[in-house]
Amino acid sequence: MKKIKSQLIYNLKKDKGSYISFGIVVLITAIMLNLAFVLLFQVDKAYDDKFNELNTAAINVTVPKLQNTDALLNDIKSLNGVDDAECREAVFAEAVVKDFRATDFSMNTLFYNKDESRNMNKLDIKEEKTGMTENSIYLPLYVASFGEFGLNDEIVYEIGDTKHTFKVSGIVEEMQYGNYGKGLMGAYLPKEVYEKFSDEYSEQTVVEYSIMTNGDINALQNDISDLLEEKGITMLTSCDRISTKDTRTMVCNLIILVLSAFAIIILFVSVFLCKFRISNSIEEDMVNMGVLKALGYTGNMIIAGVVLPYLMVTVFASLLGVAVSYAVLPGLGELLTLQAGFSFGLDFDIKGLICVVAILAVIVLFFTYTAAKRIRKLQPINAIRGNSEGKSAKKNYFPLDETKGKTKLLLVMKQTFSNGKQNILLFGVSFVLTILVAFASTMFYNVIIEPDNFISTLSEEMPQIIVSPVEQYEDVISDELKSNSEIKSVLKYTVGTVNIDDMPVTVFACEDFSRVSNDLCYLGENPDEKNEIALGSAFEEKYKIGDRIEIQNGDIPCSYEVTGFVQSVNYQGNVCEFSLDGYEALNSEKLVPTLYVYLNNASDTEKIIDEIEQSYSDKIVSTMNYQKMTETTQEMYSGITSVIVVVIFILTILIVLFVLYIVIKTLLVQRKQELGIYKAIGYSNKQLMVQMIGSFLPSSVVAVLLSSVLGLIYVPQINQLIFQTIGAMKNNMEVSFAFLMIFAFVQITANLIISILLTKPIKKISAYALIKEG
Amino acid sequence: MSAMKEVLISAKNLKKEFRTGETSQTIFENLDLDIYKGDFTIIMGASGAGKSTLMYSLSGMDRPTSGSIVFSGKEITKYNDDELAVFKRKNCGFVFQQIYLLEKMSLMDNVLTAGALCSDNKKEVIQRAKELFELVNIPEITQKKFSTQVSGGEAQRAGIVRAVINKPSVVFADEPTGALNSNNSEAVLNVFTKLHREGQSIIMVTHDKKTALRGNRVLYVRDGQIFGDCNLGNYVETDNERERKLDEFLTEMGW
Repeated sequence: MKKIKSQLIYNLKKDKGSYISFGIVVLITAIMLNLAFVLLFQVDKAYDDKFNELNTAAINVTVPKLQNTDALLNDIKSLNGVDDAECREAVFAEAVVKDFRATDFSMNTLFYNKDESRNMNKLDIKEEKTGMTENSIYLPLYVASFGEFGLNDEIVYEIGDTKHTFKVSGIVEEMQYGNYGKGLMGAYLPKEVYEKFSDEYSEQTVVEYSIMTNGDINALQNDISDLLEEKGITMLTSCDRISTKDTRTMVCNLIILVLSAFAIIILFVSVFLCKFRISNSIEEDMVNMGVLKALGYTGNMIIAGVVLPYLMVTVFASLLGVAVSYAVLPGLGELLTLQAGFSFGLDFDIKGLICVVAILAVIVLFFTYTAAKRIRKLQPINAIRGNSEGKSAKKNYFPLDETKGKTKLLLVMKQTFSNGKQNILLFGVSFVLTILVAFASTMFYNVIIEPDNFISTLSEEMPQIIVSPVEQYEDVISDELKSNSEIKSVLKYTVGTVNIDDMPVTVFACEDFSRVSNDLCYLGENPDEKNEIALGSAFEEKYKIGDRIEIQNGDIPCSYEVTGFVQSVNYQGNVCEFSLDGYEALNSEKLVPTLYVYLNNASDTEKIIDEIEQSYSDKIVSTMNYQKMTETTQEMYSGITSVIVVVIFILTILIVLFVLYIVIKTLLVQRKQELGIYKAIGYSNKQLMVQMIGSFLPSSVVAVLLSSVLGLIYVPQINQLIFQTIGAMKNNMEVSFAFLMIFAFVQITANLIISILLTKPIKKISAYALIKEG
Repeated sequence: MSAMKEVLISAKNLKKEFRTGETSQTIFENLDLDIYKGDFTIIMGASGAGKSTLMYSLSGMDRPTSGSIVFSGKEITKYNDDELAVFKRKNCGFVFQQIYLLEKMSLMDNVLTAGALCSDNKKEVIQRAKELFELVNIPEITQKKFSTQVSGGEAQRAGIVRAVINKPSVVFADEPTGALNSNNSEAVLNVFTKLHREGQSIIMVTHDKKTALRGNRVLYVRDGQIFGDCNLGNYVETDNERERKLDEFLTEMGW
């Protein structure tokens, strides 16, 4: 080590700028990798720890209290694989939470008696106000933080046409439900409040069975379904540990995916950079290496002197990157807490640190060693004479006397082709980085410019207003609203629940799916006839188009033909579509569909709602400003997306800056003599700058343009891949060619500006100094 | 005789000082010098006397610390870098001891790269380059080779072609035969003589007496001044008198 110390220090000092640039690229990679690793190692564990701490049941099912029997608990306990089970009462309601993040959110909610003793599904009270009131409520963390409710705030649940106003007395953490994506939430009422509330909704009172198992959850779920079916009991809701965890950690997993993808791309850039730098520094230091060999240094010692600085920079930058990432983690943790519905602290993770440093060090070591190993074959005398394969020209590209065209342009082309390595590097780096930019610009376009594309991918049907009419008035109101010139269309649409394969599934029933604004069908067709059904993506493996499916709702059995498959991010594919007639056939009572109202101008929503409420005050149960809800969701995503786009763009420009810095610096060092000669024969600084920029910029410009154009092909595929992971089998994201080109243009302009700034040192190269040194 | 000639470069009160930290070294001071059109001027002197520094100052390649240089009626000491670049490409041709051809280009491309600076008529430049290559005895096949693939003499002759492609007022040559063997040196010097005979003004730095004989005027730099100025007359291969005269001059200068 001592023998190579001086060589190592010499190398580090000689090329400070390049090592710093390389170090910054590694630092960015390390930040992303460590964020991904910490999330990967800690969120899952934190989730499981919390899950176990609160003794959360693996499966929770609810059945109507009216159908429940005393023996059911023991029957469930006796099922194979059940370790333990308990039951409790709750009120199940399709409720609308008013002013949830400044809008109205429709949520299936189970209201529990908070004071009832529980062995399973315990509640961890995070905040609590002393002194109960007659309308106290404890909210799950997700509802409180995402819905922006604090202690003492009022929260209004609208069930049917009754509004219940509660005062938030506490915020609890539970692991049974979680977030909106699960389609089911809990709410916890003090004993007195619950008793009063459940009296009011005795028909909607349910019994929840919480089941512990260490066995196969799916198999046990099927057994429970069979048991309930056998006993003629309807399963109203069901949630299990696996699907709940998937839903709650979906955003986290997406972030891990995106961070890892970014880290890999940037890592790719950094290894290319160090390989490029090493190849060039061997050329630059050829004579020194020859002298060292002549003095008796071995090839391995010289290789170590070249490789070790990169390794040291990598280790140092990785450690720094890991440290910096901990500054970002609390913010990321908060964002994830909001989405995941449980709080967790992201602590220092030694495993993450070891992984980041080890991965980066091993990869950099491998690539630097591969680049440097040819030093071993250098013959000292050839090295001292500066003879190397790389240095001597192999081909005279575009001979000036034989090639047509302006000599100055041909000179640029000669340089472009003579410096193949850096042009390949720039092409590769620019191409890959443009993939990031193209993805980011497409996200920006679909979330900010054309937000409907993004929201419709994540949502179901999106009218501006939902009107709940009183029974028998739906046709009258529908017809009258249709004649309003400000209303584009009115659609009878209902959301409900049925049991398919003994599991509760959300129903979307519509009078005419050809008129919906957001077609969820990604395979086959929507149901049109009474005996047709389209199933959610969760059923795609089990059924195929044309199959017949038997559905029983209570005592009413019906047979449907599967016409297609529909997606639903919010219900993880556990949905189905019926025609209104088809759904009505499953219900013993007449169905009163809601009216989905679509306006010509969305900004008129408030006004039209007022008009509807005034005109039909006695004919409607409620109205919902769905436009506001869409806008709220959109605002939330716009913020996140804007940040992502800005971060990606800054990162891209930064990486381009560092890559160009290294390439241009290498060129300036390599071509110092050449530039001196050009100056001696009368070329001006400006001419040389244009010539140099012209020799490498085209490769990055071509790469940016090509990658942007190809973005039309690969961006939809990336989107498809990402959205499929969250259950959106068909996404409505559009790739705007104009937008890709705008971002490409910005990227090219940034490259040009950076190039001009970085080639300015050409001015400092003096022809006279060259002669003096020579 | 010199008084009859047109002054091409006139240096007045020239000073060149090199500074390294707090120490400084004066190369020349209060130096006045006129270079005449059509002359083959040789600058000689001991090592470190400042002969190359003087030549590069006169050409605008290096800037004097103070004083003025008027070149073809233009005071080039007032020019900025880019103005100097434009001036040099039109008025100066350079031939270096290390030759300094662009390694990734053929000999022909090296010449055309310089030629492109002063003319947009590519055909004309190529034609002139071919004529000059013929003048310096470089066949077409060699013109297409890289400088690393030809002999030092051939490379240097290509360097001369590059220096004169734009018909400069003066060719500045810094020990052009310093790195060549005697055969190659002879060939290169013959080219310079040919060019001089065709009216080309040349300023050449050398410490080689045989090379100096090619010039018609020999300047000797010593103690930061033009210590001696010897008029040899035009080069005639068989003229021993010129050689004797140069010997005497150099002895007098303390060579």
